[in-house]
Amino acid sequence: MNKLQKQSLSIAALVLLLPAWWIAHLNTTFISSPFQVARLLPAFLSEGSTWYNIGVTLFRVVAGLVLGIVAGFIAAFAMNHSRLMREVLGYYVTSALRTPSAIAAILSVAIFKGSEFGYILVVAFITFPYMAVGLRDGLASADKGLAELGQIYHLGLFTQIRHVTAPFVAPYIFAALRNAHALAWKVIVVAEIFGAARVGFGAKFEHAWSYMLMDEVHLWLLVFMALVLFAEYGVIRRAEKFVFRWR
Amino acid sequence: MNTDTRETVLKVVDLGVSYGETPAIAQLDFEVKRGEFVAILGPSGCGKSSMLNVLSGLMAPTRGRVVVDGDELYLPRSKDPRLGYVFQAHRLLPWRTVRQNLEIVLGASDVPRDTWHARIDEILEILHIAEFKDAWPMRLSGGQRQRVSIARAILVDPSYILMDEPLSTLDEVTARSLRQELTGICQRTGATIVFVTHSIREAVYLADRIIILTRGPAQVFENYIVPLERPRDYDDARIAEVEADIVARVQAPWGLETVKERDVA
Ligand SMILES: Nc1ncnc2c1ncn2[C@@H]1O[C@H](COP(=O)(O)OP(=O)(O)OP(=O)(O)O)[C@@H](O)[C@H]1O
Ligand SMILES: [Mg+2]
Repeated sequence: MNKLQKQSLSIAALVLLLPAWWIAHLNTTFISSPFQVARLLPAFLSEGSTWYNIGVTLFRVVAGLVLGIVAGFIAAFAMNHSRLMREVLGYYVTSALRTPSAIAAILSVAIFKGSEFGYILVVAFITFPYMAVGLRDGLASADKGLAELGQIYHLGLFTQIRHVTAPFVAPYIFAALRNAHALAWKVIVVAEIFGAARVGFGAKFEHAWSYMLMDEVHLWLLVFMALVLFAEYGVIRRAEKFVFRWR
Repeated sequence: MNTDTRETVLKVVDLGVSYGETPAIAQLDFEVKRGEFVAILGPSGCGKSSMLNVLSGLMAPTRGRVVVDGDELYLPRSKDPRLGYVFQAHRLLPWRTVRQNLEIVLGASDVPRDTWHARIDEILEILHIAEFKDAWPMRLSGGQRQRVSIARAILVDPSYILMDEPLSTLDEVTARSLRQELTGICQRTGATIVFVTHSIREAVYLADRIIILTRGPAQVFENYIVPLERPRDYDDARIAEVEADIVARVQAPWGLETVKERDVA
């Protein structure tokens, strides 16, 4: 499939949602008409506060992800390094992996009393076990033959890590990143709503919802979906395609 | 009397390897001279790959010494030897192009960076893969990949090059053309080669000398000088004669079965 075909397919997929939306609008009282929402969209997007709130949520997600990735990497290397670490950290990682994200969100926000760090920590807590497990598995399956290659041709430690180990574990990292990324967006909104945040996407959504400002609810939802799709297709998949261009 | 005046590149003295209690190499003593093409011939499981692991600096032997260019390996302070290695499977980094696979080896050597380009071009030319310089390894055929692997091995003029059955996974057509080129490459570059194989004919065609091993745990069974001048022809009757001679010699020690169809009367 060429690029143009792919793009027209994704546009077609979106357009197909419109009739469903329209039907839902006709049969309920709380779903706005797609045309009404489309009419309001330009004004909504040109408002500074819209972007400010999106920016706050985006920052929480990115900061949390970065923290989660760093923590996950440290845990993975430690687990790969010693058996004791593998056993001990294994329990933590498994518990974190099985904790319902809503509970993590409520706890963290309660503990940090709605401070900015609380939001970042929830995202980090929910995403780190994915990175830890993914990278651990990648390191564990590292190719002995390629390690020997490095030794025979005297590749230094840095070259070995940069050009042999890292590309080898990259698929594991990306698989983990996709999961972590998807979860990060879900959990941050939950945290913002439960934490009674004053700014951020979740806060605005919750506000619009409680005052039954249905048009605004729709606008926030639309923008949110666009943002998540952009992060997935515009950033992560593009990076993946570049990193795996040799396949 | 030893009439070979070339200097000794590799010297193996009283080498023994065991895995735990199980011996893999009983005892090996041999030398390889500069520019020599030596084939190591032995049946499967006799310890050939174990020997290469020791000669390449990857695994310390249980007993004995390995001396490369006068330097002893496996002493607390010894350097790893500078060598080329052609593995049975190519072991190219799939995420680096052909050229990048070669550059990573040059980067770890003391070859000056401004000569890399010319050197890579020259070696790829010798191996007839110049047009694949910027190709990803996944897009190459098995034979082309093995050519790259050979190019990588001769790239930095190593003391010697180890080859562990490098042609055994290739089809006969590809293996033949690579065999033919290997001899040419050695003459052009003057490389010293230790070539492990279990194909008697391949050893006869390629080598100046064949070190025939016993069944495992390995010992040197015979140091066999190949009595043929070059250039040789793989399908020549004289190759077949030498092959038959070696088969006759190893029949008993290797426990070769005579492969003969019985008359079903
Ligand atoms: N890592 C290891 N641990 C234990 N035993 C081993 C190990 N590697 C090899 N061996 C044993 O040592 C013996 C020699 O193995 P090696 O791989 O050196 O043989 P080879 O001559 O290369 O065989 P082939 O021609 O089939 O490649 C075999 O009996 C094998 O089972
Ligand atoms: Mg072997």
